[in-house]
Amino acid sequence: MKNKDTNLHVRGESCFVDDFPCPAGVLHAAVKSSAIAHGTIKRIQIQNAEKLPGVKRILCAPDIPGENQIGSIIQDEQLLADHEVHFIGQPIAIVVAETAEIAREAVELISIAYKEKPAVVDARIAAKNGQLIAPPRTFSCGDTDLAWAQCETISSGSTETGGQEHLYLETQGAFASLKEDGGLQLISSTQGPTAVQRIAARVLDLPMHKIEVDVLRLGGGFGGKEDQATPWAVMAGLAAICVRRPVKLILRRHEDMIMTGKRHPYSSDFKIGLTQDGKILAYEATYYQNAGAAADLSTAILERTLFHASNSYYIPNVKATALSCRTNLPPNTAFRGFGGPQAMFVIESAIVAAAEKMGVDASSIQEKNLLKDGDELPYGQIMAACRIKPCWQHNTERFNWHEKQRDVQEFNQKNKLVKKGFACMPVTFGISFTNTSLNQAGALVHVYNDGSVSVSTGAVEMGQGVNAKLRTVAARTLGVNPESVRIDSTNTGRVANTSPTAASSGADLNGHATRIACEQIRQRLIEFAAATLKTESENITFENSRILVSGRENDLTWNSLVDSAYWARVSLSAQAHYATPKIHFDKSKEKGHPFAYYSFGTAAVIARLDCIRGTFIIESVDIVHDLGTSLAPKVDLGQVEGALVQGIGWMAMEDVVFSENGQLLANTLSTYKIPDIYFAPEKIQTHFLENAAHPAGLFHSKAIGEPPFMYGIGAWLAIRNAMKAFRPQAEIPFTAPFTPERVLMALYPK
Amino acid sequence: MAHSKDVKKNGPISKGVSRRGFLKGLGATSLGVAAASKSELLAKLEHAPSPNGTLLGKNAVALTLNINGKIHQVKVEPRITLAEVLRDNLGLTGTKTGCERGACGACTVIMEGATINACMTLAVDAIGQKIETIEGLESDGKLSKLQESFIENDGLQCGFCTPGIIMSSKNLLDTNPKPQLEEVKKAVSGHICRCGTYPKVFESILAAGK
Repeated sequence: MKNKDTNLHVRGESCFVDDFPCPAGVLHAAVKSSAIAHGTIKRIQIQNAEKLPGVKRILCAPDIPGENQIGSIIQDEQLLADHEVHFIGQPIAIVVAETAEIAREAVELISIAYKEKPAVVDARIAAKNGQLIAPPRTFSCGDTDLAWAQCETISSGSTETGGQEHLYLETQGAFASLKEDGGLQLISSTQGPTAVQRIAARVLDLPMHKIEVDVLRLGGGFGGKEDQATPWAVMAGLAAICVRRPVKLILRRHEDMIMTGKRHPYSSDFKIGLTQDGKILAYEATYYQNAGAAADLSTAILERTLFHASNSYYIPNVKATALSCRTNLPPNTAFRGFGGPQAMFVIESAIVAAAEKMGVDASSIQEKNLLKDGDELPYGQIMAACRIKPCWQHNTERFNWHEKQRDVQEFNQKNKLVKKGFACMPVTFGISFTNTSLNQAGALVHVYNDGSVSVSTGAVEMGQGVNAKLRTVAARTLGVNPESVRIDSTNTGRVANTSPTAASSGADLNGHATRIACEQIRQRLIEFAAATLKTESENITFENSRILVSGRENDLTWNSLVDSAYWARVSLSAQAHYATPKIHFDKSKEKGHPFAYYSFGTAAVIARLDCIRGTFIIESVDIVHDLGTSLAPKVDLGQVEGALVQGIGWMAMEDVVFSENGQLLANTLSTYKIPDIYFAPEKIQTHFLENAAHPAGLFHSKAIGEPPFMYGIGAWLAIRNAMKAFRPQAEIPFTAPFTPERVLMALYPK
Repeated sequence: MAHSKDVKKNGPISKGVSRRGFLKGLGATSLGVAAASKSELLAKLEHAPSPNGTLLGKNAVALTLNINGKIHQVKVEPRITLAEVLRDNLGLTGTKTGCERGACGACTVIMEGATINACMTLAVDAIGQKIETIEGLESDGKLSKLQESFIENDGLQCGFCTPGIIMSSKNLLDTNPKPQLEEVKKAVSGHICRCGTYPKVFESILAAGK
């Protein structure tokens, strides 16, 4: 089924925050941020800025009526810095003016004197200095110390993965307007409406019921608007309250890039031990996560890193330790995969290192160690309904790996300066928020007395197609035509206390809540229809907006039934709550059953490398992915392809470069490159694993948003194999992204 | 885009001054453009020689624009971009701005049969030119075949880059109704889709060309 939004998008009629018609009297806000990465503010001079015609007000920390604190997990981040600054781009003041342009000109006229302190931008240095966001955590099973003695091959090394700018095409922004009795409405481009509402309430000293957050859709989120959409909405709200007029705050691209956090760079160490026949016996990893200047979601992201330390492999002895290191970069935050990709890069690097030492192909080690039912993961969850082996097997057969590998070898024999590389990437990704409490959702469903249906949930549409899925759920459950179902905006007034749309779980959680609410209404209407038609409830079914009695059509239609039910005073509305059953995790033991289920899949990648220029093309990616029985196959296919392209971008193109003093050097789209049409793989073939119904899932479906992102690691592995084909003795560091420069530096060492 | 003019690649076909040239001219003294504040630039503008004898600015001037076959009159300062006029003055918010410097393609519109980045084009340069935006694609309340094809083939996800991509696709199909894949790729190569749904974009355009 089509996402209803599509129809508006192709007309240019869909409204993003900056597209809403401005009411009379609207003012615009812009943000003055720190020019230094670490230090104290000695003086803020706003007089010149205030004098600029059109400037209405300049707001600093003392203007905040409530608490100057926006930290969600750990309260360590101010909305506006009042004394200390911890990163370049940290907000200090807000200018409110007649136009956005005047506001920006005034921002330039604010002068701030600082006392600079040394900045730390490297996670390992921060760890050495003891600058940790929270105490380190360790997941372990078996006993690695004992296991090393039984290993035939032991490899160790270090890896580096870079950050990644979200680059949602719609920048961060919000629109605030006042309501009567001191209330506030915030239209925000956020994945977490409740987060915006809660933090706005805290900062503005208002009860949450006086703040309504409304979200129509996002022009991309990817995690970057899970926690970091909040400050801009709160600032717009603060400004509206202070000047008593509506205020719009939209970041420009370079401001967004400088002021917001990105995917966490990780620096990691690994040690892996295998038996002679390639079974992995032991694995140790230490992850140094570069959290940036504030906690944001870093500790949760660190936790998912630990959950995915062993990716798709059964390893009996594991010890994985993770440190979240406080540095003077913008606070890094959620990004598709949420720490999982960083962990998987380390284990895949370890396998490559071991394979090279053993003189075997890495894929043989990958295959030999794939998880199966009954295997226990390092955090105690027992694998069930495990489909990583079927995905691997299907991929080898359907896309004929044998022939592909042979073609690559032949190509490499014939070509001296252009080489190809083939690599595989299995992905096993746990579905559920790792914080068990977040695995809940609410839905409010109204059937209006003309028969049309309105559904509100906590899910935010950001292009991932959640609305198309919710519409399918409501239409199927009620037995009505999808055209009669409308998915309304995400609004804290209609559905309260929502979890952010994140962790690939938006459709699962909100879909179940929608299903339960629709079931309640359906049951009432079935009973009413049975009484009207003088039959038993069991005989009544609804199908495509028709009322069937014992499977036969009837004069009664959905619309006439609903109308009669209304006049008979039957409730046509329902609210429902869903909480994922059976999940739990005990942090004191680091053991439990945190995931409702797992998503599985494999990718086979071929890269073609120009060994003189260091440039490469991803020739083909063949994917076999398990998504249960899809609720919306086209939507899911788009998610697989899009996540793959983004994952390859992270691994082989996107280079977030900071200077030693914490200044972002790649701060516009002209210096920070993301995949374009020619960078995307030449050929992507995706096959959904057949006969893979997932009974516990929403209509037997599985989550899709994040897992395919990690297929991007396969591209890195394939490029590396092409490099090895050119120069077998090359010492290639386990560093991502592989930019052409990095390829050349590894191929032609000094 | 073998058969159509490609302004993005070959530079603006502007009859007046391009934004960059305009700023360069002003900043040619010891003052760098980037370092000059707006007020300094405006002060210089009062004494700036004009290329064709008429001085535009700094005050707002009346412009007549032909957008989607309709004549619009706006009064804006000559430094205002076409994207700003479309969005802020005319409420045609289908044209999106994603990067404000011609790198993402979200603001693409068609000017006299060539695609341009509206964020890099001064509104004054659009005087007398036929401008087409996403809002002009429907006729008699019916979607064009190209728009239908994007819906049918799921050629979009979040939708923010979509209007720009559709305008580049339209311009391709206007001059090359049955393009090959390589021609499609070239025509939309100036666009960034962060959702990464490029394969579906190609399918949508190819299907519309059938």
